[in-house]
Amino acid sequence: MEDQKPQEQAPFGQPPFGQQPFGNPAPKNWLVESILVTLFCCLPFGIAGIVNAANVNSKYAAGDYAGAQAASAAAGKWTKIGFFIGIGVYVLYILFFVVLGLGGAMMGNYR
Amino acid sequence: MKLLYILGSILLLSLVIIYYKFNPEVYNFFPECPFHKYLHLDCPGCGSQRAVHALLHLNLQKAMGYNLLLVLSLPILILQLFFKIYAYFTKRNLVLRFWYNPNTPKIIFVIVMIFWIARNLPFIPFKYLAA
Repeated sequence: MEDQKPQEQAPFGQPPFGQQPFGNPAPKNWLVESILVTLFCCLPFGIAGIVNAANVNSKYAAGDYAGAQAASAAAGKWTKIGFFIGIGVYVLYILFFVVLGLGGAMMGNYR
Repeated sequence: MKLLYILGSILLLSLVIIYYKFNPEVYNFFPECPFHKYLHLDCPGCGSQRAVHALLHLNLQKAMGYNLLLVLSLPILILQLFFKIYAYFTKRNLVLRFWYNPNTPKIIFVIVMIFWIARNLPFIPFKYLAA
């Protein structure tokens, strides 16, 4: 359950020259965050995050550390986009209601 | 980083209080999912707000009626939360190895897609999945 994933041996071939895939911890795969975005914000971005998380894990397991890092960056990007759009929708919505509510209160004063 | 955690906790707590006090079905100041608003279809997250309200009132059955996926994913998410808190206070860089299994994201992706399609089917066994 705990600790870093023990590095598996690549299925075949040597790792690319000059790289050390083994010994590097797996890059952050953003899976939990993507699930949260899927459930609570706007979905296509959360699903893009899940797909990229799948890429991170399979590339890392295959020993492609650079590919895993690229996929990790993509997963992070989509998850953050989804998160901030979700937050933005919330804030706009609340602002909209605050403005409407204040407008309504002001109107009330004039009557 | 610590400030961020504190701010996040305060935000989360206030959201919990808001979602406990106000029923999203009654009050209309809760945002509606844009996907549902314009396409009139349910997305995997539709019904989450009502489900959270029901969950905070410990009404599990009602919550499952609003968003089954949210309720089903809750045990894993809570496990992850406690794991994160434990890692933070013991100052160790712990990771749940489960999340880094190559098959986990694929299975989650398939579950989300099946759930998404199934909850939009207008037949009787799937209608219960709709938000």
